[in-house]
Amino acid sequence: MIKVNNIYKKFGSNIVLNGVNLDVHAGEVLVIIGFSGVGKSILLKNIIGLVKPDSGFIEIDGIDITKCSLEKLHETRKKIGYVFQEVALFDSLNIFENVAFGLRNLTTLNENEIKQRVTQCLAMVGLKNVEHLNPSNLSGGMKKRVGLARAIAYQPEYILYDEPTTGLDPIMSDVISDLIINLKKHLHITSIVVTHDMNSAYKIADRIMMLYGGNIIFSGTPYEVRNTKNEYVKQFVRGSSQGPILIERIFEMERI
Amino acid sequence: MIKASVRKIMEFERFTEKLKNTSFASIEGLGKATKMAQETIKDIFKGFVSWKTTVMQMVEVGWSSFPIILITSFFMGMVLALQVGSATSNIFNEPVYVGTITSFSMAIELGPVITAIVVTGRVGAAITAEIGSMKVTEQLDALYTLGTNPARYLAVPRFLACFFMVPILTVIANIVGIYGAMILATNTWDISSNAFWSEALDFISIRTFLHGFIKSFFFALIIVIVACHKGFNANGGAEGVGKATTSSVMTSMVFILISDYFLTALLVSLRIK
Repeated sequence: MIKVNNIYKKFGSNIVLNGVNLDVHAGEVLVIIGFSGVGKSILLKNIIGLVKPDSGFIEIDGIDITKCSLEKLHETRKKIGYVFQEVALFDSLNIFENVAFGLRNLTTLNENEIKQRVTQCLAMVGLKNVEHLNPSNLSGGMKKRVGLARAIAYQPEYILYDEPTTGLDPIMSDVISDLIINLKKHLHITSIVVTHDMNSAYKIADRIMMLYGGNIIFSGTPYEVRNTKNEYVKQFVRGSSQGPILIERIFEMERI
Repeated sequence: MIKASVRKIMEFERFTEKLKNTSFASIEGLGKATKMAQETIKDIFKGFVSWKTTVMQMVEVGWSSFPIILITSFFMGMVLALQVGSATSNIFNEPVYVGTITSFSMAIELGPVITAIVVTGRVGAAITAEIGSMKVTEQLDALYTLGTNPARYLAVPRFLACFFMVPILTVIANIVGIYGAMILATNTWDISSNAFWSEALDFISIRTFLHGFIKSFFFALIIVIVACHKGFNANGGAEGVGKATTSSVMTSMVFILISDYFLTALLVSLRIK
């Protein structure tokens, strides 16, 4: 279980997270929505330990990763896979080595088993015979899928997805959504997904939360999101330029 | 009148504030770089070394710098022999001490410094650009999430590669430089190669070579620590990587030349000369 307790994070005078609380239960898919720049990725990076909160704590299976020793943090991190928004494949390694990287560092599999697992994970994201290619030889969407394969390869208990379907065509987005659901069904992987893709969010989510103004302003099932009276959520889901978010953003822009 | 004074005071305040921030940033950077070097050395002694990557880096540092070292040191030796021959001809009416002065200069000063500067431009810049690009494209974060310490994975092999290859390149630069000087001395100043070597070896002992060799280890440390530090602290996309690379090369060169003076003073006081 992941427990985020009252975390604050600011960069300079810009308060990004202003006392965020959330619990993610085992086997659950939690989707976090919110407009660009609201702090969704920072929240994920706090959870995996890439960014340290200014205050508050984050527990993963009962271990407070903001205060624990480096060894414990390393052990806890092994349980978490991370899919980066900008993919972050290693340029100097080919696709096989990219996907095998975590397997070599975090598991005790031998080379044959690693080879099999890499091929299997690449097939799961719809890629075949790309092992020998370099990341620069792939399209944006293919890179995204390799990033996914790399995160699921060592079968972590939790996977954090930072906009996994951005840049993919609608069909491939649906394939990735199915993959997230299958990982939950068959391997009981707990997921936190940051996305703007509402079709994907409705399909995969057990719960959807909306981050706004540094806080979680809404939490509910996909059904509750569809029928909410919360004006912020309604505007975001509709993708409308008219509503409370726009008004505040215009004020912000005028201030700039 | 009052307005002008107030403006001057405000300008002075802004200047001192900027100076304070720059000074703090420099001290902070020095502290961070020292800590990174300390951690890297600790990791090496703890055995966290990927020998495969280290050998690859050694090839990269050594082999890629080899042709440039060859050319620059050869011409440096020739220029030196030309200058010494010309200067001594003006004073003594004949070129004297060409072998002694050129060999001495190459071994204790020019060999190590020229090698360090070439490696800074060729290898230090590449290290900063590579690590900096990885930083701005979140590849360092990806290493971290895949159970790897980015500093250990990237800095340790580069540290070892520079530490061992720069002194080897320095020895090569010394030999090639002195050889270049000999070719010029025999062709331009009609000094026989036997006379050149006899002049050179009469005054140069193993300590003279040791003087330059010891310096080259310190220069290697400066190059790799500055390059890795600047790479790990790059930010702001492609422009940031460019700035970090420029800063890495300039900082290394300045530190090499400053440390050269203090190292020379120390080695001379220890009679390693």
